[in-house]
Amino acid sequence: MSSPAIPLARWADRHLRLLAEETGSPRIAALTGDTIVGERGSNGDYTINGRISAGLGGSRLMPTRDGGWFALTLIRTEDRELLPALFLDDGIDVHSPEAIAAAVAQHDCADLVMRGRLLGLPVASADEAPASPPVELLVEGPHRQREPGHVPLVVDLSAIWAGPLAGHLFWLAGAEVVKVESRSRPDLIRRDDPATFDLINQGKASVMIDMASDTDKAALVGLIRRADFVIESSRVRALKQLGIDAEALVKETPGLVWLSVTGHGASGDAAMWTGIGNDCAVAGGLARALADASGTIGYVGDAIADPLTGITGALEAWRAYRSGTARRIGLAMSAITARALAEERAYDPALLRAELLGWAEANGQPFPKVPRRALAAEVRELGADTAAWLAC
Amino acid sequence: MKPGTRLKSVADDTEVMVIRTGGGTIECGGSPMAEEKPADLAPLAADFSAGTLMGKRYVDADGQYELLCVKPGKGSLSVDGVALVIKDAKPLPASD
Repeated sequence: MSSPAIPLARWADRHLRLLAEETGSPRIAALTGDTIVGERGSNGDYTINGRISAGLGGSRLMPTRDGGWFALTLIRTEDRELLPALFLDDGIDVHSPEAIAAAVAQHDCADLVMRGRLLGLPVASADEAPASPPVELLVEGPHRQREPGHVPLVVDLSAIWAGPLAGHLFWLAGAEVVKVESRSRPDLIRRDDPATFDLINQGKASVMIDMASDTDKAALVGLIRRADFVIESSRVRALKQLGIDAEALVKETPGLVWLSVTGHGASGDAAMWTGIGNDCAVAGGLARALADASGTIGYVGDAIADPLTGITGALEAWRAYRSGTARRIGLAMSAITARALAEERAYDPALLRAELLGWAEANGQPFPKVPRRALAAEVRELGADTAAWLAC
Repeated sequence: MKPGTRLKSVADDTEVMVIRTGGGTIECGGSPMAEEKPADLAPLAADFSAGTLMGKRYVDADGQYELLCVKPGKGSLSVDGVALVIKDAKPLPASD
């Protein structure tokens, strides 16, 4: 049996074509949707694993008492400490997947999702409607007239995959990108998944700051005020508690385009929730679509909400940049997945259905292989460019 | 009391979810917290009026108690009169 297509890769491909056209970047034109949504799973030799997410298997889909399906992603050790509160049971073995699945089966899906989100756990129901629009204009600021040939400066505060991918696409389009990591919590995939880290962070300058230092924070705000783009994936209150007020900076800085990558939205209650690529895809209806097409529920692709969000964010931010108007744009990974699914369904319903069926039938097989992209630039050591960028 | 129980302050707007608890009395603003909010608020004790922050986890020195703030308020949290402190932040972004 041949390797299955990744459903929604064609959506990614169409949007990469648009981005290539609008940025005029031959390097983006050389990418394919298959590569961008599939390279992590391909390079990592992942296996398609049904109700357990591909790769490290941090996310699981489990049946609930009322016939629903609950997705829970457990990749942060301290999140396991919250499981007794999630299940109202202080005796649960928080390290046992079987015990967790048994506990899920004793609760209704909506209760688990509600309590999980209050607790800040990345959770989802296979049957929820996205809480926010996929792309939300949060605030606008002053206009900036740029000279022809201006090289945009990107301050990338984001981590893992979606946000850094948007930064990578800007870099491919010719932007200067400064990746900023905190001394106490650098981007975890720098260490845990260097193959992916290198691909999407190559060519970016690396700045390390101490978030506890007022001097460093002031220097970071100074850097942001000179930037054309900011990309971040923190919660609003987390940024504010650090002394970085996205809304105020966008209102004050001519032409600054600020991308806020979120799981489920950047305003209202949803702004408090967490979300990670696999559970967000479930919240966007992709696991349910797989079940509808094949009769078997499961994860589709590898954290596919991440690459879909990275591409969407780059396109939206590029358009805002071209307009010259400062804007803060909220991206909701769950709603972006839901929209991609709806658009793909409208584009070619029979083909999408066949691909979902093919994906379900490939359970247990290796993740589809895509050609490994060669690195085109250096991957900077953590903090190698701190002095160069924060001195001013 | 079960973990997952939601408690409300009787002296301010604070609400918490219980993550871990011993046998002591959980208080906010100097008064014991309850599952239902009373019609009339109790006065806020001056010693327990530093405020709670949304989404923060509060712990005691022994790690026996842990509360998650799900609604902030002007009171501050304590157990049997001993103030709780904010637990260190998580080493990962909220979304990726």
